Amino acid sequence: MHAWLGFAFLALILWGITGVTQKLSTNRISSERSFLWFCWAMVALSAVVLLVAHPHWGLGRTVVLCAIAGGALNGLGAWTSFRALESGGKASIVISLISLYPLLTVVLAVILLGERLTWMQSAGAVVAITAAILLSLEPAPRAEA
Amino acid sequence: MAESRSRKLPVWLIWSLATIVLWGTWGLVSKIASGGVDAYVNQLLYTAGLAPLLAFVAWTVWQRSRGEALATGEQRKARRVGVFWAFLTGILGGVGNLAFFQALVTGGKASVVAPVTALFPMVTVLLALVFLRERLGRVQWVGLALAFVAIYLLSV
Repeated sequence: MHAWLGFAFLALILWGITGVTQKLSTNRISSERSFLWFCWAMVALSAVVLLVAHPHWGLGRTVVLCAIAGGALNGLGAWTSFRALESGGKASIVISLISLYPLLTVVLAVILLGERLTWMQSAGAVVAITAAILLSLEPAPRAEA
Repeated sequence: MAESRSRKLPVWLIWSLATIVLWGTWGLVSKIASGGVDAYVNQLLYTAGLAPLLAFVAWTVWQRSRGEALATGEQRKARRVGVFWAFLTGILGGVGNLAFFQALVTGGKASVVAPVTALFPMVTVLLALVFLRERLGRVQWVGLALAFVAIYLLSV
């Protein structure tokens, strides 16, 4: 297995666990307060990284701007997803729609970075996005007899 | 004309589309950044990018909490537990970000890593099934099966 794939699986598993922990949090506090503490945890993690990992610096302007933009885009994305749910969107529709985001990454990476996919990978990307949409469709609660 | 059309768009749809654009672009900028920074530096810069939003949300939460009635002991306990889970979500999410970025640094294409990692709901669904005893609908079972197919296709 390629190293990158192992790291991608690790991200998939950790983010998957956050789906449960986030639910356990928002069952008790507002999504806004939950997001705030999520951000504080990011700050704490970064403090640990700074102390323990001894990161190597020596950076170009473009990569610095892109890395900073990454934090802003991901954080804002989480915030706009909360807003979508709070402004009357049905959770199953909003989350299914949002699951399309990798499609944009694929299109942008192919057009702007010149990445090429094999037909198997192209099919995999389509199946993955379909799977993510289907997984977000929770069954309707059972009617009381 | 454009104005009357935009009025018809539901607000939730605009927020949802904004999310797609923001998260979709995140994968792209992360790949560009992976050409020049390691995962640790990326995490530090990522947090710097998150800081203005953190300040805004902190201010919003503070404003709202000023108008709230004093919490009872039971409510305070529930809040503490909620904060614990939110904090754990941040730590797991942050380590997940490190792994996502390392996948890009070690040669993963953004166009493959993004769809693979976007399958994370399969783990959520499986955990909810086992630990929260939630039931899965037929459509979710199909989604789960397709997720494994997608992983196979993207791994080859």
